[in-house]
Amino acid sequence: MIFKKRLLMVIGILVVMISLFAYGQNRIIVRTKEQLIKRIGATETTDWKKLAEQQLIDMKNRLDSHYMDENHKSSLRVRIEQLQYNIDNDINPLDSSLAKFTTRFMEQAIFLFLPLLILILSADLVSGESSSGTIKLLVARSVPRWKILLSKYLCLIMMEMLVLFFALMISIAIAGIFFGFGGWMVPTATGFKVLAGQLDTSEVINVPQWHYALMVYSLAFYVSLIVGSISFMISVIVKTTAASIGIMMSTLIAGSFLSYFLSDWKLTRYMYMVHLRLTDYMSGHFQPIEGMSMAFSVTVLGVWAVCALVISFFYFTRQDILV
Amino acid sequence: MNVSKSIKGKEIVKDLSLNLAPREIFGFLGPNGAGKTTTIRMIVGLVKPTRGSIHICGYSLADDFIAAMSNVGCIIENPEMYKYLTGMENLLQYANMDARITMQRISEVVDLVGLKHRIDDKVGIYSLGMKQRLGIAQAILAKPKLLILDEPTSGLDPAGISEFRQLMKKLAYEEGMAIFLSSHLLHEAQQMCDKVAIIKQGVIIKICSVTDMTTDNIIEWEVDDPAKAMHYLKTEWNIEAFQRNPKTIQAAIADRPLDEINKGLIRGGIALTFCCLTKHSLEELFLDLTKGDEIV
Repeated sequence: MIFKKRLLMVIGILVVMISLFAYGQNRIIVRTKEQLIKRIGATETTDWKKLAEQQLIDMKNRLDSHYMDENHKSSLRVRIEQLQYNIDNDINPLDSSLAKFTTRFMEQAIFLFLPLLILILSADLVSGESSSGTIKLLVARSVPRWKILLSKYLCLIMMEMLVLFFALMISIAIAGIFFGFGGWMVPTATGFKVLAGQLDTSEVINVPQWHYALMVYSLAFYVSLIVGSISFMISVIVKTTAASIGIMMSTLIAGSFLSYFLSDWKLTRYMYMVHLRLTDYMSGHFQPIEGMSMAFSVTVLGVWAVCALVISFFYFTRQDILV
Repeated sequence: MNVSKSIKGKEIVKDLSLNLAPREIFGFLGPNGAGKTTTIRMIVGLVKPTRGSIHICGYSLADDFIAAMSNVGCIIENPEMYKYLTGMENLLQYANMDARITMQRISEVVDLVGLKHRIDDKVGIYSLGMKQRLGIAQAILAKPKLLILDEPTSGLDPAGISEFRQLMKKLAYEEGMAIFLSSHLLHEAQQMCDKVAIIKQGVIIKICSVTDMTTDNIIEWEVDDPAKAMHYLKTEWNIEAFQRNPKTIQAAIADRPLDEINKGLIRGGIALTFCCLTKHSLEELFLDLTKGDEIV
């Protein structure tokens, strides 16, 4: 079956990327620790608080640098405040664990890597039938067209679930080798808010890491649904797979540079591509624009998906099939 | 059915009316671009008619799609299947979409189309002829009352064609299906069909039974005023005549008395210089009827 092959391919890509990511993360952690230990002048230390405080001082020093632009500075300020919060609340920010890695991997994958994987599975779901001509025998049957399309869409949702499930399982399996299998109960802070370049910690709560990971993966599933629906619509309208993949890829990549215009050009904030980094709202990473909140992003994405589905079904049930 | 279809402002099929009886093999003939495939696509619901309606076993295709389509099996142009599946997996795929199809029926159909030994091979390595067979298998799975085949014999070898002919006759006369097949191979239609319709530029120009057509005596007249002569034949004898040359007209008169017709022509003041009998095969007639016209 083609989808079995396709899924195997996706799993292969996941294995390679997660291995690379795990190795990279591991290197960074080891090196930061080494550097910090050198800075303090100690030969060996197990007290993470000392290391974290040193990191805090380093960051603050960098803030005074004249070469850094304002944008970077405010984002650094947010990170300093986060670190401070962690130190104050006895949460070790340097320590890496499997749970943390699994979470971080999805945080990094959610805006481009994950959508691209979904694209591999969804782009030719309908257009593939059009380009091979099999759509004729599929539609000329005593089954209404909307049912045929719905079954395709349900199949897509199942595949999205599988992709996320495999992403989770593979990252647990591979990263477990690097970081051990623990860290699921460690508390993590979430609920940060950025207000006018300042970190608002008034609503911060601590949740166990597993809880946090679950939230991240749920958001990732939401993003998969949205990207899947939009790519599904393109696949219904466009008759060749190449065109369908091309359109989706270019919009996804455009998203990364459209964010630059976000503050000046109001229209961009209604594009689905700039809203895919949903997890950043939870971790308190700096958001470049005022007024963009989790609720706003989720709504924009939801509206896109609903419109995409309505158009897909409307178009598919009415179109003349001439291939 | 009675339908018209315009695609992008161009009228491809114009007020086409057809009726099929059970146990009838109906040939749908026409040159390339005559509107055959468009008509077939309308019958199976791939394309919606701009005007008119289609009824299958009494169900309107537009209002009662499911009931109408549950009586139809079809192949449209090439029998495209999923190449990465085996023949059997393809059939199962289609069987899944119709609760009436049992495993027993599937193996019965596989036997019927002669694919028993290759059914578990991937369709990607099938020859065109084998794909055609699989296409037919897929079309008759649900024992449809109406079987629609678009150019069904293209890609079949001579033995395959004669086998196919036997199969069609069996399906029509033993299982009582009505078979509607399009073709541009005329001798094939002549050998297989009970009735044919010839279509040109979206208009049916002749419907008749094959036996009528081939045994029909075609009479050729040479007259001084062909228009007047054609008018006379139409009004007096209900004969559809065609002009071949500036002075020559042709028509099938069936069993109408030629001497009476000729007397009438002369009495009508038409100078009759020449009259002869030509025996036509369907192919010649087809070429005559559709001659000299460009594809739309």
